[in-house]
Amino acid sequence: MEVSSLPISASQRGKLISSGYTSLSSLSSVSPSQLAQDLKISENEALEILKVASRRSELDITDNGACAIVNGAQTAWDMLQEEESSVRITTSCSDLDDILGGGINCKEVTEVGGVPGIGKTQLGIQLAINVQIPADYGGLEGKAVYIDTEGSFMVERAFQIAEACIEDMQEYNSFLRKDSKDSQACQIRKDPKDFLDNIFYFRICSYTEQIAVINYLEKFVSEHKDVKAVVIDSITFHFRQDFEDMALRTRLLGGMALKLMKLAKTFNLAIILLNQVTTKYSEGSFQLTLALGDSWSHACTNRIILYWNGNERCAHIDKSPSMRSASAPYAVTGRGIRNCASNSKRVKMM
Amino acid sequence: MKPEDLLRHPLPTQTSKLTLNCPLLDRLLHGGIPCGTITEIAAESGVGKTQFSLQLLLAAQLPAARGGLSASSLCLHSEFPFPVRRLHQLSLFYQSHIPNNPLDRIFIQPLQSPDHLLDLLSRLDSIISRLNIRLIVIDSIAALFRSEFDNTPLELKRRSSLFFKISSKLKYQAQKFGLAVVVTNQVVDVIESSGNLRIGNSGFLCSSGRRVCPALGLSWANCVNIRLFLWREEERVEEEGGDIGDIKARRFIRVIFAPHLPDCSCEFVIEREGVLGVNR
Repeated sequence: MEVSSLPISASQRGKLISSGYTSLSSLSSVSPSQLAQDLKISENEALEILKVASRRSELDITDNGACAIVNGAQTAWDMLQEEESSVRITTSCSDLDDILGGGINCKEVTEVGGVPGIGKTQLGIQLAINVQIPADYGGLEGKAVYIDTEGSFMVERAFQIAEACIEDMQEYNSFLRKDSKDSQACQIRKDPKDFLDNIFYFRICSYTEQIAVINYLEKFVSEHKDVKAVVIDSITFHFRQDFEDMALRTRLLGGMALKLMKLAKTFNLAIILLNQVTTKYSEGSFQLTLALGDSWSHACTNRIILYWNGNERCAHIDKSPSMRSASAPYAVTGRGIRNCASNSKRVKMM
Repeated sequence: MKPEDLLRHPLPTQTSKLTLNCPLLDRLLHGGIPCGTITEIAAESGVGKTQFSLQLLLAAQLPAARGGLSASSLCLHSEFPFPVRRLHQLSLFYQSHIPNNPLDRIFIQPLQSPDHLLDLLSRLDSIISRLNIRLIVIDSIAALFRSEFDNTPLELKRRSSLFFKISSKLKYQAQKFGLAVVVTNQVVDVIESSGNLRIGNSGFLCSSGRRVCPALGLSWANCVNIRLFLWREEERVEEEGGDIGDIKARRFIRVIFAPHLPDCSCEFVIEREGVLGVNR
């Protein structure tokens, strides 16, 4: 694919070609500031060019899909390319991001379970904020759907986490552009209130409502294409009340899981399911396990278990098709989910 | 009713809160007990659960300017007898801020069993709006469940499904009517040899020198949004001249888990006028 086919101004095209950027792939790994320097244009202009280019390469991918044998089929190579280029939602805890391969992946259903007070809701709120991080800062610049079945979502807390997120972006901004005169170009024009406005919050009070909202999500997301994350906090609560017919419960949950998987794939969004833990009675003793039973464990692509290790909170990857099983400590701070204090000290000492 | 009706957009900027009528305790809880969720207060007997409950029953009637909800309150109690004399004593300190007699707007209902509670909750919708109730206190949830269930897997399953039913009903009403819901819970001793499951900010809860944990186990812990723990520490006060002095009890409150609060604690005392935080 040639740069000459991009819908940009002739002078920009000329500058690109004369600086050696002739193909689309040559633009895929260049940063806006580098491009601005090479072309001697403003950073904003460079960003615009990159946006146009990335949109074009996305189109290419779908074009290729169309000429496949079966409509919608992809080769493994295409899928790998796509996965490598996909942006993940950071958890704001780099240790946790490391074991997750960069964060929570789109197109996948990720289940997070743990005891009360371990930080499931905190992680849920954090992800609903982080999915909105602008593309300039390596984010998805998306919106979030938050389905609250337990009433634990606190607006104050979301506001706090959003404030900290903006502060972090500002810090990153001043650090990156310390000696650039162009620092005005990428000023953050975001307010914590904007973050809250980009969270679509559903409050669910029964399992009937839960099923109804999950069925409705497809319509909602197709009307709000910028939704990139769906958090359900928790998937469990309404399914733990007195289901006489356990087979019915399994069927309902199975249907819900399939819908969510399909949603994640079709709209390229991350689905995060929070789950409770329960004790399971087997062989004469009680053991701790995630709720909803064995058949439910097939419902998600990834499964993360949060647990206490002494006084430290830890996350463990229990199931993942691509990541190896690993654990990482994290902390819940006033600013949101972060690295453990003891850990960052260790890093500083080195 | 359509699924799109369940969307709340834009989000409200603030959760309304019910004051504890003490600036220090309100600071600990960032303004008080939030409406729309279930707050649990767990403690051994004699530390102050019921004192907190009584204070909240009165505080709910305070006008918004004083952090109240200017509404009536409902107390469902399973620990007998109900301390009506103490409630009366406390109400004297509220009279000047509340137009009518504060006791007129506190509705009290004894509870016999978990099924009784469930039955009551299902008939509550019309009563809540008719009487303008904004606070429900259940004192205590543990007393309801203490005797009725055997320690067999089947019975425990029946018990936990009742927890979820009760909690779901309460949460529904809490969010529909903007209620503050406060549930008190007892504690049980922790036996060293038993599996030690940590829930919340502290792995090690102590009261009166004993290791304890809130009653009703893990499944109930999943049913509450906020858990507060009250405990007592006994201290022997040395008197001058080396005499063995009195035993002085100090009381504390701590956030065990809450979606919006950090791990923090505060000392409190129980005075004639109610529960008060102490800055030490």
